Amino acid sequence: MQAENIKLIKFGVLSPEQIKRLGVLKITVPDTYNEDGYPIDGGLVDQKMGVIDPGLICKTCGAKAKVCPGHFGYLDLVRPAIHSEFSKVIYLILNSVCQNCSRVLFSDEELEEMVTAIKESAAVETPMHAAINTENMALPSNEIKIEANGEQGKEKEMKGAKAKESRTKELVNAKSSKEKTTALKKLKDVRKCPHCDFVQKKLKFEAPTYFTLGDRKLKPDEIKDMLSSISDADLRNLEIDPKTSRPEWLILSSLLVPPVNVRPSVTLETGERSEDDLTHKLVDVIRINQRLEQNINAGAPPIIIDDLWELLQYHINTYFNNETSGIPPARHRSGRALKTLAQRLKGKEGRFRYNLSGKRVNFSARTVISVDPYIDLNQVGVPKEIASKLTVPFYVTEWNIEEAKRILSSEEYPTALNVIAKDGKRKRVTETNRKELLDALSQGDIIERQLMDDDIVIFNRQPSLHRMSMMAHRVKVVPGKSFRMNFCVTHPYNADFDGDEMNLHIPQTLEAQAEARYLMAVNDQVFSPRDGEAIISGDEDDITGLHLLTMDDTEVTKEETLYLLGSVGIFELPKQKKAGIFSGKAIFSMLLPKGMDIEQKTRHGIVRIKDGELVEGTITKDTYKGKSKILAYLAVTYGMEELTRFIGLSARLADAYVTLSGSTVGIKEYRISKKIAEEKENAVRATMDTINKLVEQYRKRKLEPLLGYTRRQSLEKMILAELTKLTDLNGEIIMKHTDPQNHAFKMVSAGSRGSIFNFVQMSMLLGQQSTMSGGRIKRGYMSGRVLPHMRPKSVDPISRGFVLSNFYSGLTPIDLYMHAIGSRTSVVYKALLTARSGYLQRRLMNALQDYYIYKDKSVRDTYGNIIETIYAGDGIDPMKVLLAKLGKK
Amino acid sequence: MAREYRKGAVSSMEVTDGEPVGVIAAQSIGEPGTQMILRSFHRAGVASVTVTSGLPRLVEIVDAKKKPATPFTYIYLDEHSRKSFEKSLEIAKKINEVKTKDVARSIVESFSTGKIKITLSKQMLEVNEITAGSISSKISKMEGADASVEDSTTITVSVHTRNLKEIRAFAVKIGNLTVNGIDGAGRAVVNQEPGTNEFYVISADSNIDKILEVPGVDRSRIYTNDILAMYKTFGIEAARNAIAHELDKTLKEQGISVDMRHLLLLADAMTFTGKIKNVGRHGLSGEKNSVFARAAYEETVKHLVNAAAFGEVDNMSGVTESVLVGKQLSLGTGNVELAIRKQDMAKIGKKEKK
Repeated sequence: MQAENIKLIKFGVLSPEQIKRLGVLKITVPDTYNEDGYPIDGGLVDQKMGVIDPGLICKTCGAKAKVCPGHFGYLDLVRPAIHSEFSKVIYLILNSVCQNCSRVLFSDEELEEMVTAIKESAAVETPMHAAINTENMALPSNEIKIEANGEQGKEKEMKGAKAKESRTKELVNAKSSKEKTTALKKLKDVRKCPHCDFVQKKLKFEAPTYFTLGDRKLKPDEIKDMLSSISDADLRNLEIDPKTSRPEWLILSSLLVPPVNVRPSVTLETGERSEDDLTHKLVDVIRINQRLEQNINAGAPPIIIDDLWELLQYHINTYFNNETSGIPPARHRSGRALKTLAQRLKGKEGRFRYNLSGKRVNFSARTVISVDPYIDLNQVGVPKEIASKLTVPFYVTEWNIEEAKRILSSEEYPTALNVIAKDGKRKRVTETNRKELLDALSQGDIIERQLMDDDIVIFNRQPSLHRMSMMAHRVKVVPGKSFRMNFCVTHPYNADFDGDEMNLHIPQTLEAQAEARYLMAVNDQVFSPRDGEAIISGDEDDITGLHLLTMDDTEVTKEETLYLLGSVGIFELPKQKKAGIFSGKAIFSMLLPKGMDIEQKTRHGIVRIKDGELVEGTITKDTYKGKSKILAYLAVTYGMEELTRFIGLSARLADAYVTLSGSTVGIKEYRISKKIAEEKENAVRATMDTINKLVEQYRKRKLEPLLGYTRRQSLEKMILAELTKLTDLNGEIIMKHTDPQNHAFKMVSAGSRGSIFNFVQMSMLLGQQSTMSGGRIKRGYMSGRVLPHMRPKSVDPISRGFVLSNFYSGLTPIDLYMHAIGSRTSVVYKALLTARSGYLQRRLMNALQDYYIYKDKSVRDTYGNIIETIYAGDGIDPMKVLLAKLGKK
Repeated sequence: MAREYRKGAVSSMEVTDGEPVGVIAAQSIGEPGTQMILRSFHRAGVASVTVTSGLPRLVEIVDAKKKPATPFTYIYLDEHSRKSFEKSLEIAKKINEVKTKDVARSIVESFSTGKIKITLSKQMLEVNEITAGSISSKISKMEGADASVEDSTTITVSVHTRNLKEIRAFAVKIGNLTVNGIDGAGRAVVNQEPGTNEFYVISADSNIDKILEVPGVDRSRIYTNDILAMYKTFGIEAARNAIAHELDKTLKEQGISVDMRHLLLLADAMTFTGKIKNVGRHGLSGEKNSVFARAAYEETVKHLVNAAAFGEVDNMSGVTESVLVGKQLSLGTGNVELAIRKQDMAKIGKKEKK
């Protein structure tokens, strides 16, 4: 069925007549099956309402179980009951009309105003105009304060007048039922009917279904009468459509019973039948309904009848929603609360979010991922086992019928699994019918052939947080059982290879394949739309490799050069530096195009490329990923395909070079010299002295407090500042004295992994622990200390979580404890953070998902509202800003 | 902005028609959420106000909360005061909000006599340059009590009621009474801008309406992180800019770069109706035109029930609705349609033959 045909869906309430027309039978028996296991006529699983067991035939439409859509039944209630989900609406409507004459509580003037307001809004019917119309722009006219000049009395007066004036306008301009509800709530305050002068009695509503007028309890039939006497015209004045939603229909006198397909029963292994929760609930409703009828017929006293009536109301309430506040949920025999209608729709596992917004798909696969340096960025290695189960449609035409026959006739791997003939019937290809199908194959048929090299597929890793989480790759069929991918595309997916699994989807229509190939391909996703930086690039070891290769003094022998360039498919030699020696820069330059002239200044110095030769500087993270000029230049000048090729090849070259030169980090990288240790010692002593002086001053009440802080707070702030300084100083010491040949230090200067702070923590000191709440650790014992080893109320660095030892020499027991406090806090926060940011993302997505660029570059939503007149004020794509900036010569 | 780029680059930098910029903005802001660190970077600048940062602050802005958890105001000063520390300090003292409890050692109520005894701290009085007399007269102005000064550090307040609850409530009220400075201005501290050496005042609250009235304050440069206060004083355009600016600041602090255009789109979405709407159930998502879009988000049953009662119509034009029924979206590549339909093609052919 084509959903394109659905133009609109109108909501409404079923009238009792409609219910009876819709129902194929009246249900009278509060039971399901008789002793023989046959459905009881007039019972809840009457076969007139459809069948679910295969082989049976529906008594209404005569179709088999899988074909019959099911048919509704109905139930006559002896006494009307309120539809509890609607009771708030009923309350709203009752408050909006006179209790005496049933007219709306709007005055005649207001009603007239409304007519003009409707005319006005009807005049601007096109959504575009509706947005431009000042009234719909909803300027904060009635809320804005004219405060600055302080005339508050006047302002209040104006506010009152405006509020009254806009009551009807607000209702007319309300776009959704929610806005209508808020507009109507204002009518509750009208005391006297403007039409018959009747003073309104206080109407009280108590959840879920109790209404009291004055001091008299209203029964459902009375409410029904009150609602029935509202005229259609007045309902329209309340913006309610009387054709689809007469308010008295909200009081049920007949109950629609859903078909059995909606509440299928399950047959257990023991042969016992287990009914659906809804069926159970309906049994309750019918049983009470019958009891009520018997009692009424027998002329029972009103108290008993009222009691039963209320019980009927309870069962109907829980039938619709078993989580209504104020009433105990109906329970299963086991004590589990029943899942009734509302529960089926609600929440994450409800019909809307689970089945309608989230859909299951065919033509997909999932397995573990692993790296493969010899696979291209825009390829994905698909195990043969998977490739031979997934299919791609092959449309047989006049021109490719030979090819189609060749595929179909093959008995081995690239073959067809199904044939879909022109009549739409799908036939499985088996060894016995292959010949037959081959003979019958003709133009217009579709064969479903196995996945082959260079087919376009969509590769995805969850959580899919941004659009680079789903990219189109080209298939490369590989042995083994895992998907293979290039390391460079690991970042956009946020994948690693410690057991991560990823999904694969095969687009089935030609349109989908084209879209994937031209819009979702890895090539087109190199730059992130978030900030325009390159998100696909070499990283970590790749950067280390290029950094080492392009250092000024890197010299490579001829054999090594041949190996390096051979690994990226280049079989010529660069210019020699000396006899038989090649410079690393020249080797790297082999990957750059002739005529490339760029210069990029970064923290790590300058990188200059002249006519495709790296003449000055060393590659670091700033010049190889993110805001790299090399990447931007290539993209702008040579296009995305060349760019991805460069990324892949340069990463491979880099890996080849690190493999060759070797780069390893051992414990010796973090061993510090005596000189450094001494400097650290001095720095620590100096800081401790300063802090001791501060504490001394504080004790003597001579510490000058910072403005706005008490002396105690000032002391704390000053100590913290001193300690931060100390940590930074240690970083400087390390930077100054570490051997530039230190491998870990090289990684830091290349920007591939680690930071100076990591160095400090391993070689010098751990620093202040747990500054989560902005201060030092202070919780612990009542006496004002963190651990029993300290003096009460001590403020010195050690007893407040400043750790002087490092990972190399080991932690003291106190240090270890302080460090554990910090670690635990961050673990707890991390868990909290992921949950919170997930919800934030869902909310943002929901709020902004309908916005798109209209053909005049304005931003509009799909309902026609204009959000921005020009996208972000300049109509420029954020993805391309950096490209244009960096990509120029 | 566009002038800087090389010739011909601008047209290719234009956003593509139909581009779902909303989704991209949402992803761009939401995706780095997981990378945020909760550790607050309090800068070495010692006397600054602590501020919520990172994800909690991001959530706060997007929620359009009445007041941020840690409001603050940058109060810049006019030419006469901004160069001198003494003058700046004077203005800061005028603004600095001092409550009774800030200067009191104790506030003790006696239920038997209906009297409240306030013992003041001599030191705090001196620091804030106020006297017991001025506090007492401020208390006397409150309805329902009289205050009298016993000595320079003691004030007795007799409450007119004998109701125990009311006496207690009154004692609390006295504690929160602003006795000096501006009500709702918070603690004010003088700070110095590193580049220009200009002095300015930071206060830990956001009553900018009143702060602007203080002489010596530069009325053209005040800034607060309280978006609602910005809206009330300067209007919706200012609020829009404030939202975008605050989002940008919060993300930058965490070392996350997000293009301003995404933030501006979010800010515009929150303000384009003329009122500040939050992102969520009670704002943007809760007020969507489509019943299904609202029902699929949150409070499913409520939206369906109301739609039925009013006879609402869903035009099935949005993203959620289309997904629900399995129809092609009207965004992106789904936004374009064929200009000529198949059956019209046939007609054109016929005309040509004639």
